[in-house]
Parts: sequence; C-alpha cells; structure tokens
Amino acid sequence: MTSMPKFTEDARVIDQRAVAFETHLLRLRSPRIAGCARAGQFAMLQVRDGPDPLLRRPFSFHRIHPDDETIEILYRVVGRGTWLLSHCAPGTRLNLLGPLGNGFDPPPEASGPAVLIAGGIGIAPLFELIVRLGRAFEGGPKGSLRLFYGARTAAELLPPGFFEGLGATIHWSTDDGSFGYEGRVTELFQDTMEQEGLRPGAVYSCGPLAMQVHVARWALACGAPAQLSLESLMACGVGACLGCALPAPGADDPASDHYVHVCKDGPIFTAGSIQWHKIQVRRAHPPIFLYS
Amino acid sequence: MAQNTGTAGAPPDLSVQLGPLRLKNPVMAASGTFGYGEEYADFVDVERLGAIVVKGVSLHPRPGNPPPRLVETPAGMINAIGLENVGLESFLDTKLPYLRARGATVVVNIFGNILEEYGELAARLDGVAGVAALEINISCPNVKQGGMVFGTDPVMAAKVVRAVRFATSLPLITKLTPNVTHIGDIAKAAVDAGTDMISCINTVAAMAVDVFTRRPKLANVIGGLSGPAVKPIALRCVYEAVKAVTCPVIGLGGIACAEDALEFLLLGARAVQVGTANFVNPRATLDVLEGMERFLRVEKLQSIEAFIGSLDTECVFPFAERTCDAGDAA
Repeated sequence: MTSMPKFTEDARVIDQRAVAFETHLLRLRSPRIAGCARAGQFAMLQVRDGPDPLLRRPFSFHRIHPDDETIEILYRVVGRGTWLLSHCAPGTRLNLLGPLGNGFDPPPEASGPAVLIAGGIGIAPLFELIVRLGRAFEGGPKGSLRLFYGARTAAELLPPGFFEGLGATIHWSTDDGSFGYEGRVTELFQDTMEQEGLRPGAVYSCGPLAMQVHVARWALACGAPAQLSLESLMACGVGACLGCALPAPGADDPASDHYVHVCKDGPIFTAGSIQWHKIQVRRAHPPIFLYS
Repeated sequence: MAQNTGTAGAPPDLSVQLGPLRLKNPVMAASGTFGYGEEYADFVDVERLGAIVVKGVSLHPRPGNPPPRLVETPAGMINAIGLENVGLESFLDTKLPYLRARGATVVVNIFGNILEEYGELAARLDGVAGVAALEINISCPNVKQGGMVFGTDPVMAAKVVRAVRFATSLPLITKLTPNVTHIGDIAKAAVDAGTDMISCINTVAAMAVDVFTRRPKLANVIGGLSGPAVKPIALRCVYEAVKAVTCPVIGLGGIACAEDALEFLLLGARAVQVGTANFVNPRATLDVLEGMERFLRVEKLQSIEAFIGSLDTECVFPFAERTCDAGDAA
C-alpha cells in the first residue's frame, strides 16, 4: 500500500472531444493531482454536485502532464454518469479525489521486450505507460516495445494518429476484421509471441474481464511477469467501503475465501493475486439509449 | 459566508452528554463508512470528531460477501459487504493504536453470529484503553446469521443487549434496523435490557436487478440501502425512537450536510452519524461540524443543547417563514 498523499481538487474542464465511437477524451486542469499522479493510478471523479448520480466514478489517468498541470481521461459512455460527463463543456468544474491506487511498476532492467495488451477502452491507462516506456526504450532494438490493441470493431479504436512517434510497434485487431487482424486481441498476441519466439520481460494489460482472465491464465502458464489493470464498481476509492472486492487466494489456505480490493490493493494486480475462476464474466453493457 | 457568521465572541458550545458518554461535539462517523480512521487521514483529523464508530468487528476475521457488493440507486446505494473485517485481535493490534495515538474518541461496533459471541466481544473489549463505548450491531441486513435477525425481534434484541451489558461496564449504544413495524418497541426492549443509548437507522433492506442479464445486481441478492434516499425514513424512525425511550438517541441515515444533521437534532437526537456521504465527500463529517457551528452563530444560540429536541410539532397554516436560507448557514 502506498502512503502517498491524496487530495480532493476542483478541476476545470479545458477541452473535451469525441475520439472514437462513444469514446471521449477529457482534458482537465488539476494542478495538485497532475503533480504527483503515476501511470496506472486513478481518480474518483464527481460527475456533478448533488445526489444524482450520488457516487463518484473511478477513472484511470490516460495522460499526466505535470508541466502544464493537466490530466487527460479517456472514457467510454457506458451509463448515466459517463453520459452526463460527456456533456460537460469547457469551464465546467469537476471535483476529483486522487491520485489513488498503486500504479504500474516499471519493467525490470535488461529484461525482454515490454508487451502491452489493450482491449477496447482498456487502452486508457496503458497510454501514459506507453509514452513513458517509449522514452525509456528509445534507441533500443525495434520491437522491444509492443502494443497489442483490439476492439470489437474499427470505430471503437483510437485512430492510429494517436500512436505516432511513440516508438511502439502496434499490432491491431478487431473482432469483426474491420481493421487489422480479425479475431480477439489475445489470439493475435499469443500467435505473435509463438511465431516470433518472444519472451516478454514485462506484460501490461487492461481490457474487458474476459480478456484479462485470458491474459492472466497465459501469464501464469508461461511464468511471464504480468501486471493487469482491473476495474470495479466503487463507492469510496480509499479502502473504506470495501465494495470493490475481488476473490484472491487466502494467505494461509489458498482455497479459503479471501478478497482483495481494487482501490487499495490495486488497481494493478499480478496474474497470481486473483482467483480468476471465481469471477463471473458478465454480459456487455446495455445500449446507451437507456441513459439519454 | 462572512455576513452570516453572526455574533463574534465565544464559540458556541457543541459538546453533548450521551448518558455516561460525553462528546466534544455531536458529529460521529458511521460504522463501515470510515474504515478505522486511517483511510481518511489525508482529509479528516479524526480527533476533531465527536467520535468515530469503526467498521463492525467480529470475534474472528470475516472475508465478507462475494462481489458484486455495491450498486448505485437514485440518491443512494445498496451494499452487501457482509461485514468483512479483520477480526478483534487484528483490530486491537493494528487498527486501534493509530486511533489512540491521534486521541480519537473510539466507538467499537461489535457483531456476532450467535448470542455468545456478542458477550465475548464485549468482555474482551472491556477496559481496553482507547475504547470509549461499544455499538451493538443487531441490524446488518447482509449476513445470514446474527445481525438483523436479532434486531427485528424485541425478545432477541433484549437478549443480545443483556449479554453485552453483563460483560462490560462500557457505555453501550444499540444500533437498530428500520426494517421493523414498530422501532419504538425494539428501542424499549434494548433500554430495558440495559443499553445506554440507541442509534438508528442501519440500512434499509433493498434490491436491484438488471433486465439485460436478468440477474440481481448484488451477488447477495438483497442488500442495504443508504444515502440521501433513506433520510426521510431515518427521520421518522428517530422521531419514534425518541418518543419511545428516555435514553439518548443517535440519529443517522442519509446525512450529507449540516442542515441534514440539524434535522435529526431538532427531532431530539442528541448526536448524529455521517455515513455514505463520506464516500462522496471525504470531508463530509467536518463539513457537517463546521456548518453546525455556523448555524448556531446565525441563530444566536450559545450551545447545541439549546437546539436539540426543540421541534415544534404544532402544525400551523400559513407555515412559519424561514428567516434565512439554511443553505447559507449549512
């Protein structure tokens, strides 16, 4: 657990734009949080004052710019909270609580290539990491920083322009074949690993739970060091409500009931720290017309 | 609001006497919403609060319910945490020392599966330095044994309180559930069995379902509703409890600002607890406390005691006009 200070801060919307299907990029001026946030951490954002909606929403940091005191949040409209957020104009005040959670650990020195796997909006927390790793890997051999990035269809992907000049080799996939490899991003990732005989020094992933389960099982099977960014419904974000529990192996008896909490113990977990077989993968989000 | 701070001079007296327990002010953090104080250390100096009621402690560690444990509802949330906690031993070793070092007034919320466990918990907490009082949880809706099973039956409620009373001389608070027909009857039974105070309400038994997955939104199916949505229910329960018993009543349920808290005090609650609001606003307890102090200045009251229980139940028409917007004070 980190003992880094947390803040509440009234952030200002500087800019917000749609960048892919139902996907928005929100830029906020938030000096205190931008000054100390790390890749992989998150903030609890209050969409608006009052009891509707009541709770804050957790969002990972898509970009952190301490120099100009801003952060960027990339999010998908999946419910009423994000729908309201997508209508916030520049100048809107939004209260943030953060930075929260543990964040990504850098890859070990002189290990193999760093591999990132993003499914859909799972690209959000990985982007800041790619930028940082891109700088760290600069001048290294080509292919030492790879991103496997998939979505259901091309419209849900961030445009390739986002990734220019980052120094990462990008492998694209879509479930319907409308862009890049046709199929799951995890298939593309595993095929590529086998074909090229790659042994990654570090694996980072974020995406839907079904994808995360797949990545975790692969990582456990081949002993690759994986860091998975997980999400959960959350009320407090600081470890008080205990609502964001995930099943984990017990300290003494691995089979006993034990839970970790995404906000405090995560949101970044190693593959072995979750009991994946106890997690039910639920169906996709309801259609958006329900919220508008 | 500078123009509304009223008379300068001595700050109003916020201290309250709750039976054998004296608090520096009537604002407490509710059990299960404030961890063990350390979680909110960046936002709240816990020693400034009237008291902190810690997350419910059981004799042995409890893993809690499987996820999903939470769902947001209009102006509220339903939880089914299932009393996940570190257990008594670990609480005493790793959690209490922080609160003691800060000088916080600590109320330990205790929970047992069976009657005997309540008594044993009380016996082991009796005389522990740094524990100011016990709150007996006979009202949790999210556990299969104990909890609300005790709190919905006056005979069972009395048995639990008596077992705890027998085991300790600490001031006792009994926390009641709103999921009963006559909360006054349960309150009376608890008082007759020896509790020093009543606190109410715990969460309202509730449920949420998903039409797309056709499943309950909580793994436990049923959970407890909290937040602003339950405040009117809580006010009614506190009103009935205050009428039923002569011992101090602590009001909670949906308090998010000073005006909410003052509403409970107006009914005759002698203290309040802030719960779900902590999740949204980590500083909610202190905001309530500071708003309360401003209110007393605006109303030119020297002490909070002068306000407690001052409800005028005579309904007149036309309704009395408010002389200031409570929003300014609170």
